[in-house]
Amino acid sequence: MAHGAAAYTVGNEGREIFWNAPFPSELILFIFAAIAMAVCAYGFYRRWQLWKAIGRPEGRIDKPGERVKSLLLNGLLQVRTFREAYPGIMHALIFFGFFVLIFGAAFDATHFHMPFLVPFFNGGFYLWFSFTMEVFGLAVLAGIALAVWRRYIQKPERLEYRGKSDTIADDAIILTLIAGIIITGFLLEAFRLHVNVNVNGYTWGGWSFVGYALAKTLTGVSYNTVEILHQWTWWIHAFLAFGFIAYLPFSKLIHIVLAPANQYMRSLKPTGYLEPIADFENAESFGVGQLEDFTWKQIFNSDACLRCGRCQDVCPAYLSGKPLSPKKLHQDIKEYWLERAPVVIAAKNAAKEGEEPVIPEPEKVMVGGVIDLHELWACTNCMACMEVCPVYNEHVPMIVGMRQYKVLMEADFSPELQLTYKNMENNSNPWGIGAHMRGDWAKELGVKTLAEKPDVEYLFYVGCSGSFDDRGKKVTVAFAKLLMEAGVSFGILGEEESCCGDSAMRGGNEYLSQTLMQMNVDAMNKYGVKKVICTCPHGYNTLKKDYPHFGGNFEVYHHTEIIADLIAQGKLRLKEPVSGLFTYHDSCFLGRYNDIYEQPRKILAAVPGMKLSEMASNNNRSFCCGAGGGRMWMEEDIGERINDMRTDQAIEVKADTIAVACPFCLTMMSDGIKDREMEEKMNALDIAEIVWQAMGIEEVVADVPEENAPKE
Amino acid sequence: MNIVACVKQVPDTEALIKLKADGSGIEEGGIKWVMNPYDEYGVEEALKLKEANGGDVTVVSLGPARTMETIRTALAMGADKGVHITIDDADAYNTAAALAAAIKEINPDVIFCGQRAIDDDSGQVGSVLAELLGMPQITIVTGFEVADGKVKAIKPIEGAQLVIESPMPCVVTAQKGLNEPRYASLPGIMKAKKKPVDVKDAAALGIDVAPKAKIARMTPPSERAPGKIIAGDDPAAKAADLVKLLREEAKVI
Repeated sequence: MAHGAAAYTVGNEGREIFWNAPFPSELILFIFAAIAMAVCAYGFYRRWQLWKAIGRPEGRIDKPGERVKSLLLNGLLQVRTFREAYPGIMHALIFFGFFVLIFGAAFDATHFHMPFLVPFFNGGFYLWFSFTMEVFGLAVLAGIALAVWRRYIQKPERLEYRGKSDTIADDAIILTLIAGIIITGFLLEAFRLHVNVNVNGYTWGGWSFVGYALAKTLTGVSYNTVEILHQWTWWIHAFLAFGFIAYLPFSKLIHIVLAPANQYMRSLKPTGYLEPIADFENAESFGVGQLEDFTWKQIFNSDACLRCGRCQDVCPAYLSGKPLSPKKLHQDIKEYWLERAPVVIAAKNAAKEGEEPVIPEPEKVMVGGVIDLHELWACTNCMACMEVCPVYNEHVPMIVGMRQYKVLMEADFSPELQLTYKNMENNSNPWGIGAHMRGDWAKELGVKTLAEKPDVEYLFYVGCSGSFDDRGKKVTVAFAKLLMEAGVSFGILGEEESCCGDSAMRGGNEYLSQTLMQMNVDAMNKYGVKKVICTCPHGYNTLKKDYPHFGGNFEVYHHTEIIADLIAQGKLRLKEPVSGLFTYHDSCFLGRYNDIYEQPRKILAAVPGMKLSEMASNNNRSFCCGAGGGRMWMEEDIGERINDMRTDQAIEVKADTIAVACPFCLTMMSDGIKDREMEEKMNALDIAEIVWQAMGIEEVVADVPEENAPKE
Repeated sequence: MNIVACVKQVPDTEALIKLKADGSGIEEGGIKWVMNPYDEYGVEEALKLKEANGGDVTVVSLGPARTMETIRTALAMGADKGVHITIDDADAYNTAAALAAAIKEINPDVIFCGQRAIDDDSGQVGSVLAELLGMPQITIVTGFEVADGKVKAIKPIEGAQLVIESPMPCVVTAQKGLNEPRYASLPGIMKAKKKPVDVKDAAALGIDVAPKAKIARMTPPSERAPGKIIAGDDPAAKAADLVKLLREEAKVI
């Protein structure tokens, strides 16, 4: 085939596939393609065995419609990946580039082997096709350049863990492979065009503008030399591509499959959902003590983790210097699984037909070994990691599962949390204040209990902070006055109310939390409660999402929803202007857990004279106050205090008032203001208090909160 | 090693205590009952001793039917079996006598009690029990160990601490600081439901069940007088007022 045959002319533009690839190139190509694919298939088979070796069953294929949607949005359109500009664009360039190029290659191959399927693959279509491939080829190179810059020069902290780099050989190999495939592709094109344009009269060569520009540099080089170069490059290109295919399941490239798989199999449960432990009486083990106690999906998550570090970048525990990094947690579990799964597989294979395999006991302690206990207890359940994870990993339920093991099985956890739980057991509140005092705040106001007056529209579930904490009680009173002012029919449970169970549940004490939840459900159902208002987002979230498990099916509202409604209906008229600059701190359990971002801001906007400024982290990127996940009741003795860091953000925008919608946040922000010695200049107020002040009926003075230490 | 821990069920420290109209006792309805905190230290020490030396921990309690709940709590912490003694009218003496009669059958090496119960604060049961069993006693201990077949306990006194040795068997009463009582694990709670508890009537133990002491009358503590805020703008005048009040009303200077 001397310099190729010119089958294509102007008007019938195209190119010859397998140009300058003499027999048996094609045959060799296909043999190696088959080998590469076989290696790839074996890799996946092996991985499949590892996936199914360990883990409890869990269904993740219900609701295919929603799952396909998640796949298309996040897999194909890269919605979550795009949330951050640099890595979003970087990944999109490589992803879309590669996606288009692979389809291009498939088109080429189809055209060659089954031309009847693509009869249009010449002429104008071909020219635009060539042009498009050039653009996306360049896109991949640009993406690789951005990736190299980021990983090897910029080195953002998220690609490390406390100064220890995550970067491994695999990262470099992949970038080299991809860049190599693209560069050799362009070179091939250049060599071919040098001959095709000059010898075969392919005047349309300029449509392949990158290859064409490179070909120009070859002017004067002999065609024979170029054809030899072309052949060599052709093989290099081919083998790089085969290498890519074969290497895929053994490298980070496996995310090409795992990421979309995980996006498809993401949890469709309400945000932050925790599966209740069903049978305390007969279960032998509770929580996650061994790898085997995770569900297969939780282990799969660890494998799907790409070490991108977005979770670490938003984790309040990590950022405040605690040992937890959601990324590291996944990577540590993945490493342990890759150690343990082959042992389990070997044991299963060794077992005789019909016999239970004898699986050797793990040599390592997982909870307290592979995963450090400080990591486990540092989590505030703030959901920031899960909100940003591009592959929808579920860190929080894994952490709570391991906490359950420590609390329920080993009863080995911090003394201050033990005291909190005992207080909840004995007096149904974390402080251990006499349970009979729960409804005392209401007496002066004349708020009735359901026992006194059962025929009301709403139950106001006050919660522990609102009932026992001196600062929290002021919020409760302000909100109750708002309800009375607006003529809303409501009552409370008073002494019949119990702790909502959120802190116990997230602190791993599922037995206690279920007991508390059941007591509340029974009390509420006794009065036929249908609608519930909570001022605490923790109660709100758990009443809404967990109580249905225990027979409590209520319409649950947060007080910001109710206040926003009452203002919109004109039932609350705000006339007294406020002064100073406000900033709103999103509670995790209101925002990320329940998507309530608008109502609190709408309420604030309705207050006359309101000047509102957003902190650096706001809305779904809000930074936790540090009190979620049972952390409210624990000492924070590692690293910086999370609430102080959040307070610094408020100080940065020069806020005079931090508006909150959660009693835990209120305590934490008030403490932060004290820690930063800003009490003269700043204060923290609940939205209900701000609205009550703006009603101009009477002055509610927000004192510095009084410490409410747990009883000894 | 045979270890006994005596426990008493008492109202939670935060419970709202109401007296019966006739002052003969407290209204028991609506009260959260818990294990006497000093007894918890005793149970914890008993469990530690068992973990170190092997043996059995028997938890013994005297009280009405609801006391079973407290016995189960101790069993959930890790005690092996329980003895529940019922009696109609208890005082410190007949309680100790009933415990002594029940414990004699167990033939223990060490008996732990709380140094006192937080409800009646009498602090007698441990000592009377030791006396009735003819055993040595070490009271109000904050440190405990067994070495060479002997008990060595630490008892804090004003400005010092005593290290007291005693042969076994003996009675030890626990003070705060002895240990940190454990939180019961869930398997512990579940297993506790199936552990054996012997229920015995005090009369059947062959003791004189008639109480020797009788509560004549209970009265609530007098209400604390409200605080006083000294009004005025002149600090000097306010200070003078304060001194006057402290001298004439409070009579402290």
